[in-house]
Parts: sequence; structure tokens; C-alpha cells
Amino acid sequence: MIKKLTFIVTALAVVFITGCGSNSNNSTDGGDNKTKHKIAYVTNGIDPFWDLCAAGVRQAESELGGVECEIHFPTKGLADQKSIMESLMAKGIAGIAVSPVDADGQTKFLNEIASQTKLITHDADAPKSDRLVYIGTDNYKAGRALGQLVKGAIPDGGEVAIFVGRLEQLNARQRRQGVIDELLDRPSQTLGQIKFDEVAKVFKGEKYTIVDTRTDNFVMDAAKSNAEDAITKYENLACMVGLFAYNPPRCLQAIKEAGKLGKIKVCGFDEDDGLLQAIKDGHAYGTISQQPWNYGYQSVKVLKSILDGDNSLIPPNKFIDLGYKSVTAKNIDSFWSEKKKMAALGAKKD
Amino acid sequence: MNKNTIGILSLFILIFGFTWYSNENFVNGYNMTNLVKWSSLYAIMGIGVAFVIITGGIDLSIGSVIGLVASILALAIKYEWNPTLTVVLLLGLSIVIGLMHGLLITKVKLQPFVVTLCGLLFYRGISRWLTDNQTMQYPDTEGLDSFFSGKVSLADSSFALASPFFFLVLIAIMAAFFLNRTIWGRYLLALGNNEDGARYSGIQTDRLKITAYVICSFLAGVSGLLFAYELDSVQPAQTGEFYELYAIAAAVLGGCSLRGGQGAIFGVIIAAAVIRLLRNSINLVGISTHLEFSIIGLVILGGVTADELIKRIVAKRRSSKN
Repeated sequence: MIKKLTFIVTALAVVFITGCGSNSNNSTDGGDNKTKHKIAYVTNGIDPFWDLCAAGVRQAESELGGVECEIHFPTKGLADQKSIMESLMAKGIAGIAVSPVDADGQTKFLNEIASQTKLITHDADAPKSDRLVYIGTDNYKAGRALGQLVKGAIPDGGEVAIFVGRLEQLNARQRRQGVIDELLDRPSQTLGQIKFDEVAKVFKGEKYTIVDTRTDNFVMDAAKSNAEDAITKYENLACMVGLFAYNPPRCLQAIKEAGKLGKIKVCGFDEDDGLLQAIKDGHAYGTISQQPWNYGYQSVKVLKSILDGDNSLIPPNKFIDLGYKSVTAKNIDSFWSEKKKMAALGAKKD
Repeated sequence: MNKNTIGILSLFILIFGFTWYSNENFVNGYNMTNLVKWSSLYAIMGIGVAFVIITGGIDLSIGSVIGLVASILALAIKYEWNPTLTVVLLLGLSIVIGLMHGLLITKVKLQPFVVTLCGLLFYRGISRWLTDNQTMQYPDTEGLDSFFSGKVSLADSSFALASPFFFLVLIAIMAAFFLNRTIWGRYLLALGNNEDGARYSGIQTDRLKITAYVICSFLAGVSGLLFAYELDSVQPAQTGEFYELYAIAAAVLGGCSLRGGQGAIFGVIIAAAVIRLLRNSINLVGISTHLEFSIIGLVILGGVTADELIKRIVAKRRSSKN
């Protein structure tokens, strides 16, 4: 028995040592990689939005040089994101750009990561953590810009309904508040100190009335039937506002089936092809794009400069605002061709 | 009519009346068109899983089969395969999936819960892998669009019957006939009540069980096509997610016992309609969107409890009369 055990232990030891040996050989083989910073771009899930971000990452990687970037899409939320980041740490990654699923709950974990590597946040911030900088969009301002699109779509005023995946996400709440504040002509609020209005309330302004906000928890048939039900309930509905990428196309489907194309206007967020086509065809008024590829590009650029020892890209308030773009019939063609280019790049496999 | 069906029908009428009272637009043609359409889509899944539940089994993979079918369809359209042939192949694929489930459960003697849970994970993964997890759209192809998501308007009204409704009628008639009018249907119920007893009396229980899983996956495949054309878009990671739970809820609420041996097709249809009606009602009455799930859960629980209590009272009276 003891003989057997000794044999097994020796065998394992040999395998282990040779294994280690071949590993270290591998790493010296790639002489090129040695000079490159290894960084990771971690999203908060899977979505076409993230593919466009990935396109920006790839573009920066090839344009800037000197970095090698892994892109990770956690499929099952918080737990998945955490284990991905843990294995990145185990691999000894030099820098991570992450979009935290739950900023407040993850603070402690993010601080652990930040103590061992260069950590920045993108898309969603974790303001209480030790991340070096946050790259994102002021979603409140973007919401106000969306409100302005609604004003352009129905200048004479009317009833507006809002559709969104879920309001637990900070960016969704900020966007919604921006739309409401803009339509009610309220003064602008500062990001970080925004007072959020209740969900189940009707807001009546001088010209515009926000009749409802419905959530669908990312279930597509619920997104569509919410839109259908709003058309049934509000006979005088003038404009539907979709806050997540898939909402406007579902609204447009419901409007089409109700025979009210053009009668009920649609304004949205992000750059779903269905919505862009409708803007081109005149069935939707416009959309606010965060130009996701900028997220990816800037994340790589900032991480690279930090790793090169240059912190000049980090502003004092630790927030790099990438802004947004209002897309209407006027600039739809140029915007769409840029998106197509980026989508093709993002879908390309390594 | 089955006693369980009367219970669920009363619940349906109650919510219908309440919603109508709260918002008169509820009964307009457009809304009724939508309600019938969504109820039909859910009922088709419910009928499928009802067969499995009658045998005392369960199928957790329905949502993933829907996702897989919808994803492959989108890919096929993208690569310009013959759409009609693709549809036939996909229905074949869902039959094969059901056959695999049935064989693993009866011949390898694995638990239905485990087999179909692994199915849930496996098919979802395959959908995401095949499509690179890209959201895809369905352009109109050779009239298949109007076949699966077309509408037939009724004269002079805004009410129209959508394709899923016609599918449901056909499927429901066939399912009810199979269950109530054929010897196989009676065997299926007997098998659910007492599997050993059924086997000892010479019923080929394995073959029947396999048939039940094949029917279930096949109807999931049909639903996958219908959902795909209804939504004109597929998200490989999300399309169909959790639909099995709605299907199982519809089957159980409609009178199928999870212990097996009981089931009524009409009840399942009404129960699916109740689930959709609740959503519609919550939106139209204007209840906070955050309360949606709680209300659906509470009403279903209330309905099932009331049903159980009424059944007990009736049974008590009957026994005291005797």
C-alpha cells in the first residue's frame, strides 16, 4: 500500500514539475508578449451593446499597440463576473476595466482587485471603490437629451409612456429622470444627487404628461405586450420612449400592428437596427447613442497610459464623460454606416 | 366539464370582469386580439408539458428548446437556407430532443427533473454558441411570416385572430382527442395514476412515456417558431428563458396534478389565458410595474387554494350524504 502511495506521489510530482517547466518555457517563447501589457475588459452581461464596445477594444488594441486585451462577457450576473475577475487575478492580469453589476455590493471585492492590479470602471461606476477612474456617460444628461428628442417629435405636447427593462439599474433610473425633468421643464439636477420620482405616478406638465413607466425584466414578449397594453389603455398616446436598446423596436412592432405607425411617435436609446431603420423610414423620430465603441476604445487607451506610468488622462473628479450623440433623420446615414463598421469589427473572432 | 376546469374558468371570468370594469378599453378589438394571441402561445407550451405531467414527469427544457429553435431559424435565414425545409428540420429536431429525453428517462432510468434540467443548460449553451450570442432579426421569408404570425380580421371590427390561435385550436383538438377518446390517452392517465399497476396490466408504459416527452418537445418546437415570428428577433441567451415555468404553471393550474394521472386540455388553455390576462390586467388597471410578479403569484396561489377548499367541501358533503 505504502509503495503504491509513494509511486503515485512521485508520479504526480514528476508531472507537476514537468508541467511547470513546460509552462515557463511557453511564456519565454512569446518574446513579443513580454513587452505588451495584458489587460482585460469585463462587461456586465451579454448584449449587442457589448459587442460594439468590444469593437472599440479591438480597434484600440491594434491602433495603440503595446497592449493585449481579453474581453469577457459574464453570462449570469454578479457571481459570474466575480469568478471571471478572480481567475484574471490568478493569471496575473496587469489591468482590468469592468462594468460592475452591483456597484455598492461589490465595493469590498473591487477594492481587493484594485489593491492588486490597475482597476477602472466603464459604463457603470462604483464610486465608493478604489477604482482609478470611471469612463462613462452622464445618463441623466443623456436622458434630458432624449427628452429634447421627444419635444422635437411632438412639439405640441401630449401623452408620453416610458418602457424600460428594469429600474433597479442606476443608469435606467437616471435616464428616466432626465426624460421626466426635461419634459416637465424642471431645472437640471447634478449627477450623484438626483432625486428620483416614484414609478407608479402620472406626471403632468404644461404640455407633456408622462402617463406611465413599465418594466419587462428583459423578457421580450413582456416588452412587446407592455407596449400593446399602453396603446390599449392610453387612446391619446402621442409618444413612446424606450430606454433600453430592445424597447423601441418592440414599441414599433406594437404600433405597426395597431395601425398607428406615424401617429404614435417613438424615441429611444442605443442603436438597435430595427430602430435605426424606423428612423430612416420616418416611423421613429430619433435615438440617443452612447457610441459604445468609445467605451471600449477609451478603456484600453486609459489603462494603457496608466500602465505606461502616465496618469494625466485621469481628471480630478475621476470621471471621463464620453457624452452621447442624438441621432435623427438628419444624421442617420452617417451614424448607421459607422455602427455597421463597428458591429462587423466587434463580431470578428480572434 | 372537469371540476378543476370550472374553478379556473371562474377565476378567468372574475379577473376578466374586474379588468373590464376598471378600464373599458380592455374589451376593444386590438386588446382582445393581443390577449388571444399571447394566451394561445402560452397554451401551446402548456398542453405540451401537460402530457409529461400526466405521466408524473416534468420537462424543464421547454424554454431552452424554444430558444434553440428560434436561434437556428435565425441562422438559417441569415445563411439563406430554404425556409420551409428549415422549419421541417427544426420540428424534426425537437422530436429528436423529446425522444432523447424519453429514452434517457425510461431506458437509462434517470430522473425526468435531472434529464430535462441538463437539457435546459445544454440547449441554451448550444444556442449561444451557434449564434455567437448575437441578437438576430427575421426578415420576411416566402410568406412564412404570415403563416406563423399573420392575422385574420373578422369583418367590420378591429378584432383579428392571429396565427397562434389557429395552431392552438388544431393542437388542442388533437390533444383532447388523443387524451380522452383514444385507448392511448386512457393508458396515459392510468400510467400516471399507478405506473406499476399499468405495467402489470400489460400497458407498454415506456413507450407511452417516451411519446409524452416527444409531444412536449415537439410543441416546444412549434412554440419556438411562433415566438420567433411574433417577436421578429431572437436573443440566444434570453429567448424562451423561464417559459417552462409558465407552461408548468398553466398545466397545473389547469388541472394536471404534479403527482400524475390527471389532466384536462381545456383547463390548461384557460389557465394559460389566466396567466396572460393577469399581465394584461396589471398593465391596464395601472398597478405598479414592480408588483407584477407578486400579483401573478398571489392570484395563482389564491385560485389553487380556493379550488382545493371547494373540492374538499364538496367531497365532505358527498360522504355525509352517503
